[in-house]
Amino acid sequence: MNFDYIDVIQTLIDGILFGSIYALIGLGFTLIFGAMHKLNLAYASSGIAGAYMGLMSLTIVGVPVLMVFIIGPIVAGLISLILYFACFRFMPRGNHLAPLMASIGALFFIDELIIHATAGSPLSFPAILQDSYFIVGEFGIRGDLLMIMGFSLILMVVVMQLLYRTKLGLATRATSQQPVAALLCGIPTHKTNATTFCLAGILGGFAGCLLAASVGILSPLIILPLTIKGLIVTVIGGLGSIRGAIIAGFAVGAAEGIFLLVRGVNERDIYVYLLLFFFLVFRPNGLFGSTINRD
Amino acid sequence: MIEVRNLVKHFGGVRAVDGLDFKIEQGEVFGLIGPNGSGKSTTVNLICGVFPTTDGEILLDGIDLCAIAPHNRVDAGVARTFQNIRLFGELTVWQNLWVAWRDQPGQEQSWISNWFRRSPTRRQEIQKLLEFSGLGDKADHLASNLAFGEQRCLELARAMASKPKLILLDEPAAGMNSAEIKDLCQRVLTMKEMGMTVLLVEHVMELVMNVTDRIIVLNFGKPIAEGTPVEIQNNEVVKNAYFGSSENTQGGAS
Amino acid sequence: MTYFLGILQTIGVHTLLGLSAYLLLLTGQLSLAQAGFFAIGAYVSGILTVIFGLHIFPALAIGAFIAGFFAFLVGFPALRVKGLMLVVATIAFSEIVRLFFFNLSWRVIINGIEVGPDSTQGFREIRYFAANGWEQVDIVGLIWFLVIAVMLVLWWLDQVRAGAVLRAVGADELAAQSSGINLTRVKIAAMTGGGVIAGIGGGLFAHSTTYIDHHTFVVLLATFAVSYPILGGLRSVVGTLLAVIFIQGFIIEGLRFIGDYRYLIFGLLIVLVMNLRPHGIIDGHFLDDIKKLLGRKTMRGKVDD
Repeated sequence: MNFDYIDVIQTLIDGILFGSIYALIGLGFTLIFGAMHKLNLAYASSGIAGAYMGLMSLTIVGVPVLMVFIIGPIVAGLISLILYFACFRFMPRGNHLAPLMASIGALFFIDELIIHATAGSPLSFPAILQDSYFIVGEFGIRGDLLMIMGFSLILMVVVMQLLYRTKLGLATRATSQQPVAALLCGIPTHKTNATTFCLAGILGGFAGCLLAASVGILSPLIILPLTIKGLIVTVIGGLGSIRGAIIAGFAVGAAEGIFLLVRGVNERDIYVYLLLFFFLVFRPNGLFGSTINRD
Repeated sequence: MIEVRNLVKHFGGVRAVDGLDFKIEQGEVFGLIGPNGSGKSTTVNLICGVFPTTDGEILLDGIDLCAIAPHNRVDAGVARTFQNIRLFGELTVWQNLWVAWRDQPGQEQSWISNWFRRSPTRRQEIQKLLEFSGLGDKADHLASNLAFGEQRCLELARAMASKPKLILLDEPAAGMNSAEIKDLCQRVLTMKEMGMTVLLVEHVMELVMNVTDRIIVLNFGKPIAEGTPVEIQNNEVVKNAYFGSSENTQGGAS
Repeated sequence: MTYFLGILQTIGVHTLLGLSAYLLLLTGQLSLAQAGFFAIGAYVSGILTVIFGLHIFPALAIGAFIAGFFAFLVGFPALRVKGLMLVVATIAFSEIVRLFFFNLSWRVIINGIEVGPDSTQGFREIRYFAANGWEQVDIVGLIWFLVIAVMLVLWWLDQVRAGAVLRAVGADELAAQSSGINLTRVKIAAMTGGGVIAGIGGGLFAHSTTYIDHHTFVVLLATFAVSYPILGGLRSVVGTLLAVIFIQGFIIEGLRFIGDYRYLIFGLLIVLVMNLRPHGIIDGHFLDDIKKLLGRKTMRGKVDD
């Protein structure tokens, strides 16, 4: 098959722009992993669930379209908080299996709930800037993707500021490195972790809304692929590395685009997932892994 | 028979071990002491391969241990106990020894035999080891149900079960009462009679001074003295390291 | 009667699924790849009987072998790294397998009929049993024969040193490594064994239901697979069997009248149980209590060589 280099670059542009969503999800997973050294497998589903609630507020209550993008993240943050209490708060600290299983249970619960509430059919989501399209030389840049990228970047900067410039961020980082010592210094571990979950949830809610806005559709079928891709981004970036998650998000978006171009939509995800194994074999620490990950 | 040359381990900016040299002869009980944070446990961990060295060599009968993966060092003849007891709590006393047990060097069986077949010799040996450790009648008790002193004995027995050339004891007397310490002294001396070489890391001087042949003292990752127990007890440098120099102690307490 | 046999069929196949996860869980690793191995066993053995006309037993065996082979391949990279990465890798693996079979189309004409996996349409007409005179009773018999055989093998593992080694890795990796155990080798062995068991289950599943498609082999199936041994506790294989009976028999069938909310309740159940009993419902003490009830001596372990 012959691909014009224009096609390739165009695909890369679209992929990287879209990858900002994966970066957000990866960032959320990383925040939670960073805080508790545990994975919340229901994370992406909480983001999508938030997007659904945002949509509901539009279709049922009739709020202005922009409110969808505010209500969605707020609800997602709340759901994430509930997940913290349901799956992580009361587990013994050393036990990694139980919270993981619990979050899997929560993932299916949320998934099934959405399927029931919507009778399994996709719903249309308000798309923003759908028709704007910029021509730059030989390439076209979708306006909505550009806005998503811009918005995602702003969110990432906000999160970084929060983590590194505020007392909350300091508390989060302290708790993640030495939970007992942090507690003894007067940092409320549980409150800090709960706040981290909430923050990550809000991030996930934005990611969910942005994803739905760019595709124009909300469907429960996107939950699992989004979860897996988010996890892949987190792992490729290096478990616990924020920089890594962000960069890996864009990289996965770009790779996904290329695979779509070369193998079509049915096989695209196979190769994205295989990318994970490639990294596991050759770079198990990911791009910027800080923790010692080898057994 | 074991020789450590210029051992260095840095954790980022922290120099846990900073140029350590010593030799242990076959059949010796060798003590490694020093104030907290002097690098004793790190040294044990380096010899066992828990983390890689930054620099230096560890030679066991001429073989460079640094080139051998941690689980293979047991084959090379190294065994250890842990400062914080790390027994297989959900397994029985018997199973704890069973897991660590190795064939007589030179008479290795196939892995099928080791994993899946029964062996009367193995059974007898494990039983003997249990008797030696005072756990003869507790074979089918869960390891986590033992009393503290018994757990320490089990850890020791487990290390012995792999028929090591060199056995590393990481603060085995921590938390023991006087009677238990005397018992431990006896045990270590018996191990010496059985031909084992022992590296003992310890704070409890009652144990160190009574069982060791030679001692090396660490401070800040570097050796500051080496000699027999008597020599070390009278060594000024060592006393300063532990208690501070007389200039510090004199003016302080008013 | 057919209804009852059908339930036995499902419970049997799911027990194999659970047992395949049990082996790796002994070493403390949570793997969600069982759905993938199950699928490989199902499709491979199905293709062998339908397209190549093999007898059921070699087909099952080859399917199981290939599933085990892939388990070995997956284990290599995935088991070298921290446990959480294994979860991610195995989820990805199960999805890769599902998507692969989603896209697989291998149609041939046998005796005038077109058969074989048909990508999105699924794999129909896996009619080996019907075409060879097997009654439902015979099928259920075969399934349970294999279930009991696998349970016996796993029970036997605990009577020899292998079982203790597996559990030691699960109990404390540092201590196990310091006792001379090659952690990666043990985990890969457990993973491969689990793959073979799942492959057998998959093959039986495909032939007893005569129709498979990619919808069955979603990550949810892998979740069921690990839920059984976790719920049932890792002290003994019997726990896994009991958990399967409970979950499949009670929730899925008994609450059938609640309709599709069953899966909702399943998810909630997992969250609840993990909070109340993080070490599983049937742990060592539970079995000991039952033994005391039956008046037998409580043997906390085996004295063996």
